[in-house]
Amino acid sequence: MERGRSIEREDIHALVREIQNGNREAFMTIVGAYQQRVFVMAYSMLRNKEDALDVVQETFLRLFQKAKQFKEGCNFQGWLLQIAKNLSVDYYRKNYRKRREFESPKSLDELRVAAEPNPASSSAGEMRDVFLRGIDKLASRQRTVFVLRHVDELQFNEISETLNISVGTVKSLHFKAVQNLRKWLSPYMGITS
Amino acid sequence: MNTCQDLQKDRAAFLAGELGLERREHMASHLKGCARCREAVDEMRKVIDAAALVRGEMEKAIASVDWEALPAKVTDYVFGKTARPRRLTLGEHLRPVMMPVYAGIVLGVILGSLATFLVLKRHAPSAVSDNVFFASPEFIDRVELELARRQTLDYLKKSQYLHQDLAQASSLDKERGMDELASGRAKDLLAKKKYLNPQLGNSRMAKAKVICDQIELLFLELSQISDDLTGVEMKRIQSMIEDRRLLLKISLVEKELEESEV
Repeated sequence: MERGRSIEREDIHALVREIQNGNREAFMTIVGAYQQRVFVMAYSMLRNKEDALDVVQETFLRLFQKAKQFKEGCNFQGWLLQIAKNLSVDYYRKNYRKRREFESPKSLDELRVAAEPNPASSSAGEMRDVFLRGIDKLASRQRTVFVLRHVDELQFNEISETLNISVGTVKSLHFKAVQNLRKWLSPYMGITS
Repeated sequence: MNTCQDLQKDRAAFLAGELGLERREHMASHLKGCARCREAVDEMRKVIDAAALVRGEMEKAIASVDWEALPAKVTDYVFGKTARPRRLTLGEHLRPVMMPVYAGIVLGVILGSLATFLVLKRHAPSAVSDNVFFASPEFIDRVELELARRQTLDYLKKSQYLHQDLAQASSLDKERGMDELASGRAKDLLAKKKYLNPQLGNSRMAKAKVICDQIELLFLELSQISDDLTGVEMKRIQSMIEDRRLLLKISLVEKELEESEV
């Protein structure tokens, strides 16, 4: 999935230097090029358009404030998405965890007992809710890797650069996430194990 | 079995299309012959396919955002948040319109300094000369009492020695000029007593004062008759010392004074 205009690496560094000098046009160019990627990162964590847009604003504000800390030669997109991810995690911790627990106090295990273990009876809406509950239940890093790979459709090496972890770690987290989801969601998906 | 275990961790990567060519082909050929692994991969595929539900939702959210307008909005927000107030140049600082402000600041500083000076001055101790020693009246009283105690003790000790000498004096001593010596010592002690009198006025020295007064009387008599002290007179003085139990009283008062060190 192509998101936003792509900018050459050299051009990015030149634009960041301009931002360091307070150049408004350069800043707007960077926002235009990366806004969708940042939005997707925030949305995949928060699943709310307005909140994701708030995180987009805060991410670019942080970029502007920390532009002088960016070292030439580093991966700009990885650096920016790392900021977006951290802000999304903070936002989630502050506003979502309790809210979602309140909205849906039953655990997946409780839902499983109450649910009809027949996939045919589960509507797409119910399936979506159950899947999202499973995503929420994943450990933070597993959730991030899974969402980036299958919702944002980033490659493992891109996730590795974005999260600043090795490809091997990305692979391992992805495997654990899929295994856990398979275990939790089996009653709803006609999975026998 | 070993192959199943070896390939177990590659299943998710295989489904995600992240396996290298060689391992992917190895996995594909293994899945053809292994129903168990095939089933596991199918189940994982269902989980991964379920992500499409969320992906669809996100695509809708992305489509609903005005991406053309967003950069300007975000830029306005960021520059609005980080904009610093413009600094005035020196010329702008010195504009006539600013003069009342500076006058007010200067006046405020002067008045503030004056008020601080007055407040601090009121509470400050008065100027003190380096040569003057300050002590509380209580401390001075205690020092005076201690001096009086020490001088009285000294007086009593000397008196005690003189009394002892007189009490043990014999006719032989007269021949040796003992009486003249005793007279001289008595006169010295009388002079000392005059100096001690004001200090003995303290209520805590009352007992010592009584004894000292009695000793003084004895010394007065001694000094008046000492020029030709006869055996009779010597006996009379000795009996006075004995009758009044002066040596005992002196010892008691001495002991008391020694114990009552200030």
